[in-house]
Amino acid sequence: MRIILIGYGVVGQSLTQIFTQRRAELIKNYGFHPRVVAIVDRRGAAVNPKGLNLEKTLSLKAERNTVAAHHERGHPGMSALNVIENVDAETIVEATPTNIKDGEPGLSHIKTALKTGKHVVTTNKGPLALALPVLTELANYNKAYLKFSGTVGGGTPVLDLAKRCLMGDRILSIRGILNGTTNYILTEMDGRHITFEEALNNAQKLGYAEANPSMDVDGLDAACKLVIMANWIMNKRVTLKDVSIQGIRNVTLQALKEAAKRDCTIKLIGSINEKLKVAPTEISKQDPLCVGGVLNAVTFVSEFAGEETIVGRGAGGMETASAILRDLLDIKQNLATRLMS
Amino acid sequence: MKRVVMKFGGTSVGNGEHIRHVASLISNHLNKDYQMVVVISALKRVTDKLIEASKEAKSGNRDHVHKLLQKTTKKHVAAARNAIKNKQIRDEVEQTLKTILDELEKVLTGIIYLGELTPKSKDYVLSFGERMSTLIVWGALRDLGLNVQYFTGKDAGIVTDSNFGEARPLIKVTLHEVKQKVEPLLEKGIIPVVTGYIAANQDGEITTLGRGGSDYTATIIAAALEADEVWIWTDVDGLMTSDPKIVPSTKVISELSFQEAIELAIFGAKAMHPKALEPAMEKEVPVRIRNTFNPQSLGTLIVKEQKIKAKDVVKGTTIIKNLALINISGAGMVGTPGTAAKVFDMLGKNNINVLMISQSASEANISFILHRDGLERAVSTLEIALLGSGLIREVTAEDDVCVVAVVGAGMKGTPGVAARLFGAIARKGLNVRMIAQGSSELNISFVVKETDGEKAVRAIHEEFKL
Repeated sequence: MRIILIGYGVVGQSLTQIFTQRRAELIKNYGFHPRVVAIVDRRGAAVNPKGLNLEKTLSLKAERNTVAAHHERGHPGMSALNVIENVDAETIVEATPTNIKDGEPGLSHIKTALKTGKHVVTTNKGPLALALPVLTELANYNKAYLKFSGTVGGGTPVLDLAKRCLMGDRILSIRGILNGTTNYILTEMDGRHITFEEALNNAQKLGYAEANPSMDVDGLDAACKLVIMANWIMNKRVTLKDVSIQGIRNVTLQALKEAAKRDCTIKLIGSINEKLKVAPTEISKQDPLCVGGVLNAVTFVSEFAGEETIVGRGAGGMETASAILRDLLDIKQNLATRLMS
Repeated sequence: MKRVVMKFGGTSVGNGEHIRHVASLISNHLNKDYQMVVVISALKRVTDKLIEASKEAKSGNRDHVHKLLQKTTKKHVAAARNAIKNKQIRDEVEQTLKTILDELEKVLTGIIYLGELTPKSKDYVLSFGERMSTLIVWGALRDLGLNVQYFTGKDAGIVTDSNFGEARPLIKVTLHEVKQKVEPLLEKGIIPVVTGYIAANQDGEITTLGRGGSDYTATIIAAALEADEVWIWTDVDGLMTSDPKIVPSTKVISELSFQEAIELAIFGAKAMHPKALEPAMEKEVPVRIRNTFNPQSLGTLIVKEQKIKAKDVVKGTTIIKNLALINISGAGMVGTPGTAAKVFDMLGKNNINVLMISQSASEANISFILHRDGLERAVSTLEIALLGSGLIREVTAEDDVCVVAVVGAGMKGTPGVAARLFGAIARKGLNVRMIAQGSSELNISFVVKETDGEKAVRAIHEEFKL
């Protein structure tokens, strides 16, 4: 399968690492032979219709900070849109950073790819949180697949658990810890009795939180994931503006102490019932949802099967890349069926 | 009295002087007791310009369209002036040319406004090339005092289906109509001058005959009139034993059969389109390919059946470049009925055109040849569809191959041709990647590295003394 990779940050690089390390296994076990025909980063693109040498692109990225420095295949300044429109490929992987203001440039990348009949795998929450219904219609109309397992739960198959494993059952509500950074901060505050500022500082030192932590601590990241789940799993046509959002900046040590007396703690919980809501919420320490550190956990309440909780690491390069790989394999299998029918 | 349909290609009527030369060629034959129908292509490169103009019109580039129109006008007016000496005839032709060009301008303006170019309107635009060139030749012939009548393909009675851009004649209707409309003129000693390439559907809407265009017009008319010969006047001496750029000692093939000509054409020799040979083959009208600029040469004669001399088993050899080879292999294909069918059905549905196929009796692999520009898509499609199905293990590709085709009816039933052929290739140290021979034995094609292709052609030339 010919793949265009847009965005060559931690996730994109991890994906190409998996491709190089698991090449033989992917062909043998899954009949999947990925050929990355183009990679685009901030400074340009590298293009080879037969497939790029990924060891080479990884070392270029590490040493020169751009794949555009490729001496024969590099195109400094070449834009992602130009590549999507002009390079032949079956699928694009969109792994540029999330922007929840207008979803760009990811939104344009995805729209253009779908319009040119390319399948899309994305880890970018922005375009989906703002315009998932739009993108779904565009994908259906162009007979293209749009996959985004990596947007919720990182490598943990949260979306697939609900969509596939609970097929036939009706999911009544969802609640979960959807953001690893805030969960780390709250766990630290509760366990080591330190303030929000101190805990945030630690998280930043460990690389769990960004210099500007707003996306995480103000609940926006969790809200994006909630919107994706509501659309995909529960068929609600909602976007980010339909979510009531409250972050964790105002969670006090006092409140945590009070909760602890009741064998409870405070977690940033995203929930989908009639309404979509992200807010610090007191839950029992015995609740399977109550996980510590950077872990994520989601509980599905379904009509027949009852409650199921899935726990896993919610972020990370390799973790998210593994979700992309799952999506790509899924597309390959669907295409094979389509081609041979 | 000999009845001949003559077709003159774009180079033959490239400019006014050439058109005058063509007119005198026709006139010379008249004195030799010939009944003639003349079919004319568009002036050299005019069809390309018309295609360009229609595309530019579709994109709304008014200025560019205007420039192209001006150039086209200039070219045809100049040709008419040089081709026709008599002022009265020249004025008449120029006047008609202006009317035709006005019409063309209107059509292109319409396309600019609509921003839409349908196959039907494109055919209409393309028809102007032959309408103008034929008009000028008609004038040049009158200038020499010949009794001529101008026909469009439609007026001559060629009726096609409505598959614009690549229309097929309703052949029975066409043969009947053409005979009725054109034959009476011949009896009266008039020379019909007919636009090549263009025709009309049964509702009178203009269509074009697609590839092989004007040659096709000539053979259709020849079939209808049961002519003695079709002469295709072009700018080469005839079909060559090979490409003179590869083998300097290449010669004109003096005579060959329709079957051989079709094989050579399919394999890319600069020859007639197989479709255009059909009507002539059907009615057994011999086709002669001649050089306008070297009329003394008799050219190449294509006939129904040709006596095969023992020494010339091979007629010609051609090379097709820009190809790629794909090999799919896997033990899963062995003894699994329908594997090849599945593979080629899938490729067909995805518009991937396969030129040549070979499968070993072990069934463990299938190799095939396709055009190079579709290689990456073909490999990717095959991998997605077949890898992991247990049927195949891997898909490999080579993008530097070419096909060498060897054609000759004499190969049929002559033992040892293949041995001689591949012996000659082996002596040059060339590695043959794939071989195919149809059971008609009319042609053997094989695949070598592109860099070895010309060496292989030369080796064959030497071995069979072409």
